[in-house]
Amino acid sequence: MASEDPFDSALDLLRRLNPADTAKNVEAICALNPSLTEDLLESVDVPLAVKKCSRTGREFLCCDYNRDGDSWRSPWSNQFEPPVEDGEGVVPSERVRKIEVAANEAFDTYRELYYEGGISSVYLWDVDDGFAGCVLLKKTVAPSVKSGSGAWDSIHVFEALDRPRAAHYKLTSTIILNLGMKADALGKMDLAGNLVRQVEQDAAVEHDGSHVANIGRMVEDMEIKMRNQLQEVYFGKAKDVVGDLRSLQPLSETNRDRETQREMISNMTNRG
Amino acid sequence: MGNLETLGSFIESAPPGELPNVTTAIKSIVGDKPLSDLQPAFEKYNEEQFTTVKLPGGSQSVVISPYNKLDDGRYFDVESSTSFVFDHSTQKASNAQSYVLDSSNADLIKSLLKSFKTYVDEHYPDSSIGVYPTDNDSKVAVVLVSSKYSPNNFWGGRYRSSYLLTPSSSSLTGTIYVDVHYYEDGNVRLLTEKSVSPSTSSSSAADIVKTIRQTEQKYQEELNRAFVSMSEGAFKGLRRQLPVTRQKIEWDRVGGYRIGQDIGGAKR
Repeated sequence: MASEDPFDSALDLLRRLNPADTAKNVEAICALNPSLTEDLLESVDVPLAVKKCSRTGREFLCCDYNRDGDSWRSPWSNQFEPPVEDGEGVVPSERVRKIEVAANEAFDTYRELYYEGGISSVYLWDVDDGFAGCVLLKKTVAPSVKSGSGAWDSIHVFEALDRPRAAHYKLTSTIILNLGMKADALGKMDLAGNLVRQVEQDAAVEHDGSHVANIGRMVEDMEIKMRNQLQEVYFGKAKDVVGDLRSLQPLSETNRDRETQREMISNMTNRG
Repeated sequence: MGNLETLGSFIESAPPGELPNVTTAIKSIVGDKPLSDLQPAFEKYNEEQFTTVKLPGGSQSVVISPYNKLDDGRYFDVESSTSFVFDHSTQKASNAQSYVLDSSNADLIKSLLKSFKTYVDEHYPDSSIGVYPTDNDSKVAVVLVSSKYSPNNFWGGRYRSSYLLTPSSSSLTGTIYVDVHYYEDGNVRLLTEKSVSPSTSSSSAADIVKTIRQTEQKYQEELNRAFVSMSEGAFKGLRRQLPVTRQKIEWDRVGGYRIGQDIGGAKR
């Protein structure tokens, strides 16, 4: 194989190493090759940090999109925490901030209905021909011997590009799901990782409020689909592979069962 | 963390069957500097993961482990009475020679190999085993590895177990590890570790293997139950499939409608 682009190789490596260590590994790769730092921090999703908005007392989520240096903008107050040292920090235009406020309200309801807890934050910014943004959702469940521990981070990044009486939406969704369990009989079990999916679609826009509804529907459909896929991969695929490595039933019995089945099928076919 | 330590940690967490991919990526990231320094990391990986290798001219896979390494760095296989050179970076064996097992437990080791093989053939579709004297011949190590790689379907898995038997006291301790990686449009990893110290009735090969079989059977059942508990427990507790109303959200009524009225004439 020809020598790969170091950035692609870094992404490939992160796709292979233990996903529970992604944040630590990004740091380590940046130390090995500092020229990758900016691109990696921008394109690799890690579990979201939580901050408290000092004006409203509400918690909000931190990512690269609401960051200015070491400060993060609260979606509830539109202010940076802590205040940005030089200047005021980048905030959305008045029109886009209005959509952002409505989106935060809408996704707060969404969060309550689907997550029954947790934290949500929506950040928007202006781009040529429209706006872009991210919808973030985070929930954790405290460890228990019976049901394990869990952390869910949803990171939906989208673009909404203006079309005549419509918009073209492009959504990239990452869900980071880390589960763990510790018990005497079981020992230690960690089931951690992330899935990434993309979708593009056009939708009608009557007024700016339509954007909130359009993005809401896209994110909701995507999360419903991805939750099913997470369930399949974590509790179906992973368990099946364990069964492929070790068979609970003695293999001689399994083979005998298969042979019997094959004979039955072949008898039926012959008769037909 | 120093560079070497970093690279070592990358190699150590390479998923089953993906060490070559991890090494290629590392080379590209550091920019083709020579990687001879990685030798100790490869050695650690191969011994911990019970890497298997086919001997020159042989068809059966033998295990690399800390227990079958000789003082001169060669490894030995009891069943074929062979010692060989193992290249940790290419994972190839060469220079095979005849090797005679020198142990006061040689008879026990040979009957353990036989009984253990009968057991693993019944439960592991593709596995390799080893039984070796260790700890100045005071103990016997029993190791098992079963791997399956399906790169075309973006998954790989490895089951490992290792036991230390003290023949004089019939005490048996061990550890079982499962490692599964799924990486189609994502990166999902199952890592488990379970220490066991089952009680044994005697040091006979038949009794020891029976105990190991019961232990591993019980562990797999426990693991299968844990998948269900996690799915029904933590996973369900994180996000509902649908709201309590069992209906999707009416987005025009939870914010969009209001902003439409607020902004009113902002038709574009």
